[in-house]
Amino acid sequence: MLFKRLVGILPVVFGVLVLTFLLVHLVPGDPVEVMLGESATSADRSVLRAELGLDKPLPLQFADYLTKLIHGDFGVSIHSHAPIAGLLAERIPATARLALLSLVIALAIGLPLGIAAALHYRRWPDRAATLSALTLSAMPHFWLGPLLMLVFALWLGWLPVSGMENDASIVLPALTLASGLAAILTRMTRASLLEVLDEDFVRTARAKGLPERTVILRHAMKAALLPVVTVVGLQLGSLLAGAVITETVFGWEGVGRLLVESIEKRDYPVTQACVLAIALTYVLVNLLTDLLYSRLDPRVRFNA
Amino acid sequence: MSAGRWLRLALAALILPVVLIGCSRPNSSTEIRFAIAQAPLTLDPRYATDAASERVNRLIYRPLVDFDVHFRPVPALANWQCRDALHCRFKLGTEGREFHNGTRLTSLDVVATYRSLLALKNSPHTAEFANIAEVAAADENTIDFTLKAPDAQFPARLVVGILPAALIAQNHDFARHPVGSGPLRCVEWNRALRLERISDRQRIVLEEVRDPTVRVLKMLRHETDLVQGDLPPELVAYLRSQPSVQVKEVPGANYSYLGFNLQDSLLRDPRVRRAVTLAIDRDTIVRQALVGGSRPATAILPPEHWAGNAQLPPYPYDPEQARSLLQQAGVPLPLKLIYKTSTDAQRVRLATILQAQMRPAGIDLEIRSLDWGTFFDDVKHGKFQLYGLTWVGIKTPEIYRLAFHSQSVPPAGANRGRMQDAELDGLIARQNWQAATERIHALLPYAPLWYEGQFAAMNRNVTDYAPASDGNWDGLVRISKNIAEFEN
Repeated sequence: MLFKRLVGILPVVFGVLVLTFLLVHLVPGDPVEVMLGESATSADRSVLRAELGLDKPLPLQFADYLTKLIHGDFGVSIHSHAPIAGLLAERIPATARLALLSLVIALAIGLPLGIAAALHYRRWPDRAATLSALTLSAMPHFWLGPLLMLVFALWLGWLPVSGMENDASIVLPALTLASGLAAILTRMTRASLLEVLDEDFVRTARAKGLPERTVILRHAMKAALLPVVTVVGLQLGSLLAGAVITETVFGWEGVGRLLVESIEKRDYPVTQACVLAIALTYVLVNLLTDLLYSRLDPRVRFNA
Repeated sequence: MSAGRWLRLALAALILPVVLIGCSRPNSSTEIRFAIAQAPLTLDPRYATDAASERVNRLIYRPLVDFDVHFRPVPALANWQCRDALHCRFKLGTEGREFHNGTRLTSLDVVATYRSLLALKNSPHTAEFANIAEVAAADENTIDFTLKAPDAQFPARLVVGILPAALIAQNHDFARHPVGSGPLRCVEWNRALRLERISDRQRIVLEEVRDPTVRVLKMLRHETDLVQGDLPPELVAYLRSQPSVQVKEVPGANYSYLGFNLQDSLLRDPRVRRAVTLAIDRDTIVRQALVGGSRPATAILPPEHWAGNAQLPPYPYDPEQARSLLQQAGVPLPLKLIYKTSTDAQRVRLATILQAQMRPAGIDLEIRSLDWGTFFDDVKHGKFQLYGLTWVGIKTPEIYRLAFHSQSVPPAGANRGRMQDAELDGLIARQNWQAATERIHALLPYAPLWYEGQFAAMNRNVTDYAPASDGNWDGLVRISKNIAEFEN
């Protein structure tokens, strides 16, 4: 069944490839003009266009691109002439580190807040947690980032403003990136736990005289976490998308920033490779989430 | 577990990473850190066209020719003599003759650099040198250029940095590992570009920080020592009010303008273009919405340029006259025009000011803010009525040929408004720049706006740095930093 799921990914990846290729080639802006400027002759432009393969019809260009991709060749950057596989190998670990730390922070903030809110439904902890979640989700990253810089870097002097110079540099971008997910997790955990707390098995556990902590952590949370796992899987993709803004604001040299730079320079091959890398990660994380879900809940099986 | 404990746990999760990693220290090293808005794209001067690359390459490499304060070509590596309109001989001087790899710069390196420029298929500069018929070394210090057609501006074109011939032959990757003979050498270019001054081994680090607010925050926290340009006026004013920061401003030479599409049914009428030009209150914008050192403009080249024209009268703000011109032209009011600009916040803000200023003249300006690639593509393809741009780092009057000659319509040049005027073509061909600027001033293919001032903000312990009128970073050759002052 796992094999079936893996095969099922292929049409998705192909769809992403086609869409990215078309979108990148259909937006206005010509890499040849970006490279040669305005004083180049038409002959120079034609030569370079032919050299880059941009003079061929789009389907042929796509076929070339696909053939190279199957052989593991992402091509080279039109501007820096650097192999794209190398660029991605440099940038993916930075984005992965940022996304994973953001996930950990979001879980560490979202789960306790959600539990506190559910256990004290309609009392001040619930209101405080809900308000915090709403505030966090309403803050765009390009605004929250500089705000955190102002507080933690300038006023408190605890962390660097931006860059990747030392280990501390990752904290502020990770907090910024985690904010949205933390808010979603808070609300999700709260809603899920509230639902579970009304279930018979929780009542039974309490009736058995188990301590409240055991009832919540060992019984209720186990069931309440199932939908949370799904949300975490889906939101990991959003973390990658959010990294595009966060990495730009914080000068974090990850895939998101590479993507933005490549779009500005109309560096088609780099844009395509970045989008493909992000899409693949999204698809694989979703697959992993499904697998984990089936482990956590025996009722869910792929052949069901 | 009580609610308080759960909440404390969440709070701890928020604060813990900050505290665990501990307090970071601001930059107190001897390195001078310079936060720039855009990193250079390439350190190979044969390919560089963006402002950041050209500014860094000026420091790493040395060209044959440079410019003085009046933008006249002056010797850099070599002085020259043109025997006739087709033959120029360049003699290398004594300064800057050692490449950073220890080899000596000779005429063979000059020849190799220019021959490689002519042979490259994907260099934006190749077309500029297409007029060179031959470049040859007469001896170790002498280079002879032979041209296909007479070109009085030829020496002023030889501003490309010289590369070592041996490395050109090896196809060396100058883009990432530059080797020049300039006052600064490249130590490494990883996340930041680390340069070292040859004279005293002072390290200078150029770090890309795209967000203007972040650049200011880094300045205030001493994570960077210097920022230059690319900040909105209110952030410059804020920096000026900070006791730890000094701001230096100089008059700018980069020309901002509003371009007209002369093929547009409305804008092909000179009265309409004049009306739009009279509907802009430049003085107020310069005073209120631009950084210090900005001044109203009348032509692409500033008055202090040897080919500048200080006699051109500025267009006043006269919405009444603008309105009556539009009525004379038979245009129904309000006149609806679309103005295209980039997404840069300051450009959009200036567009809204123009929109408000034009309203009393009966012009209803619709602003279209587009991402840079789309915007510039539209401009080059003539898909606009009005657009706003700035010419950066212009040194020679050849810009008038590139921007207004009838044969320079894109893709053959930058005549984006499709100006077609035989008289102007003739003036440009005869290089009669005074008359050409007067003609352009009368025809108004551009509504002249302003030369935006240049500024640099630096920490108090940074000395010997001043911004240049075209925004170059030549001041890095002299800049110094007093560490003791910082630590006190």
